[in-house]
Amino acid sequence: MSWSKKRIGIERVWNRWGWIFISLMLVGVVMFIFYPIVYSLYLSTFSTRGFLKTFVGFGNYIKLLQDTYFILALKNILVILIVQVPIMLFLALIFATLLNDPRLKFKGIYRTALFLPAVTSLVAYTILFRMMFSNEGLINNFLTSLHIIKEPIRWLLDPFWAKVTLIIALTWRWTGYNMMFYIAGLQNIPMEVYEAAEIDGASKTVQFFKITVPLLKPIILFTSITSTIGTLQLFDEPMNLAAGVVTGSSVGPGNSLLTPSVYIYNVCFKYSPNFGYASAISYVIVMIAAVLAFIQFKVAGERR
Amino acid sequence: MKKFVFKIAVVLMMVLTVLSFAEKAKITIWAWDPNFNIAIMQEAANRYMKINPNVEFDIVSMAKADVEQKLNTILASGVKTGLPEIVLIEDYNAQKYLQSYPGSFADLTKEFNYKEFANYKVKLMTLNDKVYGVPFDSGVAGFFYRRDYLEQAGFKPADLENITWDKFIEIGKTVKAKTGKYMIAADPFDGGLMRILLQSAGAWYFDKSGKPYIANNPVLKEAVRLYKEIKDSGIAKEVSGWNEWVGAFNKGEVAAVVTGVWIIGSIKAEKSQSGKWGVAPVPRMNIKESVNASNLGGSSWYVLQNSKNRNVAIDFLKKIYARDSEFYQKILVERGAVGTWLPAQGGSAYKAKDPFFGNQQVFQLFSEWMKKIPAVDYGIYTYEADAAIMSVMPDVYTGKLSIDEALKKAEQQFLNSIK
Repeated sequence: MSWSKKRIGIERVWNRWGWIFISLMLVGVVMFIFYPIVYSLYLSTFSTRGFLKTFVGFGNYIKLLQDTYFILALKNILVILIVQVPIMLFLALIFATLLNDPRLKFKGIYRTALFLPAVTSLVAYTILFRMMFSNEGLINNFLTSLHIIKEPIRWLLDPFWAKVTLIIALTWRWTGYNMMFYIAGLQNIPMEVYEAAEIDGASKTVQFFKITVPLLKPIILFTSITSTIGTLQLFDEPMNLAAGVVTGSSVGPGNSLLTPSVYIYNVCFKYSPNFGYASAISYVIVMIAAVLAFIQFKVAGERR
Repeated sequence: MKKFVFKIAVVLMMVLTVLSFAEKAKITIWAWDPNFNIAIMQEAANRYMKINPNVEFDIVSMAKADVEQKLNTILASGVKTGLPEIVLIEDYNAQKYLQSYPGSFADLTKEFNYKEFANYKVKLMTLNDKVYGVPFDSGVAGFFYRRDYLEQAGFKPADLENITWDKFIEIGKTVKAKTGKYMIAADPFDGGLMRILLQSAGAWYFDKSGKPYIANNPVLKEAVRLYKEIKDSGIAKEVSGWNEWVGAFNKGEVAAVVTGVWIIGSIKAEKSQSGKWGVAPVPRMNIKESVNASNLGGSSWYVLQNSKNRNVAIDFLKKIYARDSEFYQKILVERGAVGTWLPAQGGSAYKAKDPFFGNQQVFQLFSEWMKKIPAVDYGIYTYEADAAIMSVMPDVYTGKLSIDEALKKAEQQFLNSIK
């Protein structure tokens, strides 16, 4: 009896110290994460211009439904989501499988080469791509000298090609990053499974689709959710690819690179400053991200 | 007792020293171009410290976007600290800041004699008959051309004076046919040329009362037609981004550049082209109101109302930017900055002939054109309107939308975005 009482006493003391240790962090989280989340929800019910505020209730959210730029921004990232994310994840999966082959030599070099883009700065690599894909840049010169194309491709001057450029850039930057998750996942799949499949006469392709993909499903789900959220928050790449001559009037030719995050930035800092409206947009983005993640869980059939 | 007196004396002396240190007023300034406005402010500061030694300066260089972000967030949050005494604001943004943050900027109406500044600059910083800024550099536009290319195509400098844009395009076609060079380099989705075109006719995206004026604006309609015409005629080398644009004329790929006077530094950076350039007034539109003078860009200084050393900052701007003619000569020679304080334009530097431009009195010409620039109220939505127009341009270029339809669509988009 007295023994257990003492034990509780110690636990109380431990608990107290535990709370003291994390209190600083908690204060930080409340001040810099919880408070802004709640305050921006409050702010999203106002239309602001600088420090002039008018209460509009759901007005900002209703305005969003008719805002052609916002809808255009959503359409733009939808294209990225449908085209770029699958290509990138599929490539990452292929690379990971190839690199997981025990007979492969110089694995470290390939891995490093494929992962290296993931550690470069977003701004730096985007500016590099901008130079490479300019009208007389490396890519056009290369393609014309090989006689693959006659006229230079208008990479950053045509709404369609601007998106292609963005997709290529994003794929270069993020494939290696996702590949690392797959490699980690593949290492947990025992080699015996593949050996058994081989003895049973399954080809490499069949092994890939019948063993690798199903066993990696949780990781594929994880990467597709993070990539979806990443796409929704896309900012650095379009912002830097689209810098104009003098005014930068549109984000890419005909606003073809406009993303919700860039739009939020413009609403806050480039246009007449409307922080209330910007908060409303960010809340809608969060909701879209949540819905998409939910759908992916359902489609992947994740069960607890 | 003696000791006590001594102690008091020591304390008094300490207090006095502290006070005399505190007397040195610190003026913080935010601007964005180390080779231009930062360097110029440094020069101004050095000059002022000779007049008033009790001042020290902290001139902070940031990216332009960062200046705007910081200013926006600090002003919107309502805190009174963290802001500088003086901030540089782009002219197109002036009204946006003045109207969004009323009371944040010092009213300078009575401090300066604004008749001494270029009229169009004063207009854009005036709100409810009060003037809030000190006009700084001008973006007076010019038509820079390559003498050698145009001569080869059969044009004399006199043929390029006071022409219309239609004539400009005609000349461009001849240049292209005879020399193989493009007339200009252009980003088809950049709003810079649009602003030159509109201001040359004293028009903007808004009417006199500030209401959106896009769909049935004849000047805008003509400007969009010219954008399409320039693209269709093939006289423009398409570029994307600043570096490619500057590269095009530095490498001698184009025969002309039509933009603000601030480009002179970039043109002259290519020393091998010395003597090959000339300058003429910017072309006008085929519209009655349009003149051969316009503007692109430019910025001005503003004093924060709640800053600690506001009055010293105002005195500083007064003594240098509205009195020191020598200063204006120096920044013109060293930085190519065309100031908008008119009395300085009688100075020697303005009259100098520039061998790079075939001994033309370049700055004399620009200051004459500057006086003719029609004043325009940029309003608070210039960037929104720009974006609306440029987002319909792809459909105008392909012919999917007629200009009327496109402008109607742009106006609708614009109205949605400012609602």
